[in-house]
Amino acid sequence: MKSHKKRFTFGDMIMHLVMIVASVICLYPFVLCFMVSITDESTVVRNGFQLIPEKFSAVAYQTVFTDGTIFNGYIITIIITVVGTLIALVVSALAAYAMSLSRVQYRNVFSMYMYIPTVFSAGLLPWYLVCTNVLHLQNTIWALILPSLISPFNIFLMRNYFKSIPASLVEAAEIDGCGTWKTAFVIIFPLSKPILATVTLFTGLGYWNNWANALYFINDKKLYPLQFMLFRIEQMIRDIKQNGTLSNMQVPTVTFQMATLFVTIGPILLLYPFVQKYFVKGIMIGAVKG
Amino acid sequence: MSKRKSKTKEIAVKRSFGQEMKKNWAYYLMMLPAGVLLFLFAYLPMPGLIIAFMDFKAQDGFRSDLVGFKNFEFFFTSEYAWRTTRNTIVINFAYLIFTTFFAVLVAILLNEMKGKLSKKVYQNAIFIPYFISSVVVGMLISDMLFADSEGGVLNQIIGLFGGDPIKWSTVPIAWPFIIVFAHLWQQVGYTSIVYLASIAGFDKELYEAASLDGASRWQRIKSITIPLLMPSIIIMMLLSIGGMLRGDFANIYAIIEDNGMLFKYTDVIDTYVFRAVKQAADFGTTTAIGLYQSVVGFILVVFSNWLAKKYDKDAALF
Repeated sequence: MKSHKKRFTFGDMIMHLVMIVASVICLYPFVLCFMVSITDESTVVRNGFQLIPEKFSAVAYQTVFTDGTIFNGYIITIIITVVGTLIALVVSALAAYAMSLSRVQYRNVFSMYMYIPTVFSAGLLPWYLVCTNVLHLQNTIWALILPSLISPFNIFLMRNYFKSIPASLVEAAEIDGCGTWKTAFVIIFPLSKPILATVTLFTGLGYWNNWANALYFINDKKLYPLQFMLFRIEQMIRDIKQNGTLSNMQVPTVTFQMATLFVTIGPILLLYPFVQKYFVKGIMIGAVKG
Repeated sequence: MSKRKSKTKEIAVKRSFGQEMKKNWAYYLMMLPAGVLLFLFAYLPMPGLIIAFMDFKAQDGFRSDLVGFKNFEFFFTSEYAWRTTRNTIVINFAYLIFTTFFAVLVAILLNEMKGKLSKKVYQNAIFIPYFISSVVVGMLISDMLFADSEGGVLNQIIGLFGGDPIKWSTVPIAWPFIIVFAHLWQQVGYTSIVYLASIAGFDKELYEAASLDGASRWQRIKSITIPLLMPSIIIMMLLSIGGMLRGDFANIYAIIEDNGMLFKYTDVIDTYVFRAVKQAADFGTTTAIGLYQSVVGFILVVFSNWLAKKYDKDAALF
């Protein structure tokens, strides 16, 4: 533990070995998927999945991009991620801030109101009926944004963070002439960047990867987000496998499938090196708290 | 409220509802949007639970005939009640045990690593799958790793040892294991960071003292790290009991989809309910199942919270 260097022991070797195996298991599917996506289709059919392809080909990517539907998916996904995350952040941060102040008399009543749905829910069908028959969200972009917007967990996480900011700061700001809203947006939120960043990242990731809401509410192909598009391709392939090929339907090839998959996760893999440390910090904030 | 005014001279002055609204209206306005959204998506569906006690017909809506517990009877006398409940609990239990085990293992190993760089590389690699949607995981699992063809990754490995390729999509018993593997693949990285955070909070002097006394690395792990980590492990596990009956819908459905052959060991309550809703066959029974899940889930949450509180007063959620 001290400053003097230790030898590389047998124990070290075992440790590294275990971690190398774990890392390979975690990374291998991505690497293989990418290699398959740039392989010639007939080579894949003949040889199966190979890490080093016999024959390269960019046809799959050409098909994905000339087909063009993927761009539509990208636009939908970007819209719901940006709009959803922004609304969620503002709405949750404001509620959490009000809940954190001891001068707000009914803050605990509101906390209870927030907490109850996390332990008791009405179940899928009543929720579905409210979304479709009462709010008429089906086949609108709001169906992909609103139902999963409020996360009580995130609100409590933010509330606890705001609570740790000395109340005297709010009072001082008010003496200096800051109004209620200005205090929140100019004093408190800028001081809470770590927690706001954490909530933003996790909410954004959640929206980017969400496909269940599309599964429940969206029939209109123009509103398919990326992940749901991928799901539909996968479903089509399984249908064909199970029911035999229909002569007039074009079967998506394995390389097309893998290329599409890679295009949908591309932005995440590109951003990963830059954002992962913030995610780690965020988990640590949450972990220390509870 | 106003009568009590004279009594409360202490720290906080109690105001009547009207006074409080007049003084702090801006703060209540801040809570309003979150409150409204939560009301729409969490509270408004609750009256719909009445459907569980109805012979629900679309044209009659909420004026359908009340039938008491008939819908529950229908579900609990069918083979699906036991099958889906068992699968849900078994899969969740496996998630919990194995995720905890591997996450703690990874956290301890990362903590013991001397090289900063290697530590970082391993952590980044193991954390990556967390960022991928369940659709992608489902695709990688069922079309690449466990593909039916000879070219599937697992079948290639079996081929290396001279075995015959397995047609995975027709082997029901393999899939609960595959589902658990997929979950571990995605979650171990995340959970290990939670444990790593709590290890980082341990007193460094303990380790230095142990080193001075000549304790080996294994002894330090066994006698310091693991015992100190135990409270967090127990609390995390206790609190997960509350979610035991909640299915992991998106992940399981993305892997299994509608392959009926595999339902025997993989159909959980949530996937069953989803199919029932999709086929719109029987609203009453579907709602009844949801209610059963919520009520038992609620009891489990209260129970696990009580256990956690018994174990450590500060650990409980409420």
